[in-house]
Amino acid sequence: MIDLQDVTVTYHDSMPALSHITIRVQKGEFVFVVGPTGAGKSTFLKLLYREEKPTSGRVVVAGEDLNAIAISSIPFFRRKLGIVFQDFGLLPTKTVYENVAFALRVIGMPRKEIRHKVPAALEMVGMAHRPDAFPGQLSGGEQQRVAIARALVNEPALLLADEPTGNLDPDTSIGIVELLSHINQTGTTIVVATHDTAIVDRMQKRVLGFERGQLVRDEQDAAYRLRLPETQILPTDTPVEASVPLSTGPQAATPQEMPAGTEGEATLPPAAQSAITAFFSQAVAVDTSTQEAQR
Amino acid sequence: MSFGSLLFLIHEAFLNIRRNGLMSLAALGTVTIALTVLGASLWTAYRINEIAQDEPKTFNEVDVFLFAATTRDQTNDVMARLQKRPNVGHIRLVPKETAWAEMQSREPKLTDAVENNPLPDKLEVEAVDPGQIDRMVRTFGNRTDFPEVENVTAASDEVKILLGAARLVKAIGLTAALCLFVATLFIVNNTIRLTVFARRREIKIMQLVGATPGFIRFPLLLEGVFHGVVGAMIAGGLVLYGGYAVARYVHELKTPLLGDVPSRLGPVELVGGLVAIGALIGLVGSHFAMRRFLKQV
Repeated sequence: MIDLQDVTVTYHDSMPALSHITIRVQKGEFVFVVGPTGAGKSTFLKLLYREEKPTSGRVVVAGEDLNAIAISSIPFFRRKLGIVFQDFGLLPTKTVYENVAFALRVIGMPRKEIRHKVPAALEMVGMAHRPDAFPGQLSGGEQQRVAIARALVNEPALLLADEPTGNLDPDTSIGIVELLSHINQTGTTIVVATHDTAIVDRMQKRVLGFERGQLVRDEQDAAYRLRLPETQILPTDTPVEASVPLSTGPQAATPQEMPAGTEGEATLPPAAQSAITAFFSQAVAVDTSTQEAQR
Repeated sequence: MSFGSLLFLIHEAFLNIRRNGLMSLAALGTVTIALTVLGASLWTAYRINEIAQDEPKTFNEVDVFLFAATTRDQTNDVMARLQKRPNVGHIRLVPKETAWAEMQSREPKLTDAVENNPLPDKLEVEAVDPGQIDRMVRTFGNRTDFPEVENVTAASDEVKILLGAARLVKAIGLTAALCLFVATLFIVNNTIRLTVFARRREIKIMQLVGATPGFIRFPLLLEGVFHGVVGAMIAGGLVLYGGYAVARYVHELKTPLLGDVPSRLGPVELVGGLVAIGALIGLVGSHFAMRRFLKQV
């Protein structure tokens, strides 16, 4: 799904925002991208939706070689993705329904189909009861759910989320990642950039750690930080081994240390779980001719 | 683009205008004011030009008034003598009777109070070279050569000053109109830039959900044209109303100089012209305003 080969991004001759990154993410994976502010998380995501171009190296996403893609083809490439932002990115002058429908409108989907898909997507994120509300009338968590519905309504193969819980309180944040986790279980590849330790520790997924533009960690079923001997501090240019821990922190938590009932397995209400399953089973049944028409 | 998408985009444009009410109102207000000032100055310049072009007939003419007691034979004699003078073109006799009848029909209250015709014969002498008019006035007023002549006036005496002023006003008006046109372009372009700038986030979101540049551009262009056209229509109305108010005032003054010179520029042409300018400004303004944002893919 994602294939980065020796990718470097440099802005205006300054220190590289990303330096010699090689990453491969398989279809259906759930990946957290972690690191402090300025580590290169957002640049990494921007590469994936072709907001940025690599200075060197090769980027292939959803089968599309982003080094070679024509400018005119970028909108069509982005239709394969769903993107969620920290500030939700909803259009303030459109209602919840219109915001979600907008993603389908821009790709020319017939109105009849939109009327069918939008309520299903809103149902999936638990926002079906407020289709006529404007974003300003919703809480942060509700707005982020609408943003997720918009990102998913087009059944993208890959969902990218840049600090999706950055503006949310801890409880709401957990609700959002549980939602993402259930969406992932239906086969959607998910990449979440975050510095929210709680959600990463809770989910125990693959973690890509960035520091000063370098990939310093790539680990399966991991927490936000890895426990290290207190004295061990490694230089940031140390070559990465997936299992080598490079940083430490007092708040590091292993699954064993987490409070009961908070570990990895998310706990969405049964109704929400069935809505997600229903949405994606519909997605599978979507007429292939419609998919073609969207292009 | 399918018909459904086109309808959606038109609907989007008008929905945006309604929901971005304050910004739309600001844009509309600016366009209206700018086009009103532009339209008024253009129209004024045009009208002054028309009136000025209507005047040259009186500009190169000297009016010779004879004493009231002058007989028709003496008048004909004066005409013959005048004709021999240099720079004299055609001479037209306006007999006292004709002048009196004209006055009676125009100002009956005034003439009813007068028993006998007090008006003298008048000779309208055309000057071949309008530059010599002052000399002609002096020569014809010479009592030794023309004892029958009571008074000589040249239309130029009054018209010259006014026409000079009119020419100045025309030149100033045209220059001002040109400057205003450029200023209007900048103001409207800037206003539309502000509306587009206020929507840069929206444009960004549209790009990220996979909207093509054309899809993003169309409603914004339509909004720009809408602001331009509606602003121009309001401006056209204001200019017309103002124009007629001024015309009525001038008519009441009964100034011969600014007499009822018919205008070739009717209300339809005026408003139509302004609407065309408004639409063009709106289209060009929004095109350039959003070009910057659309460059960032």
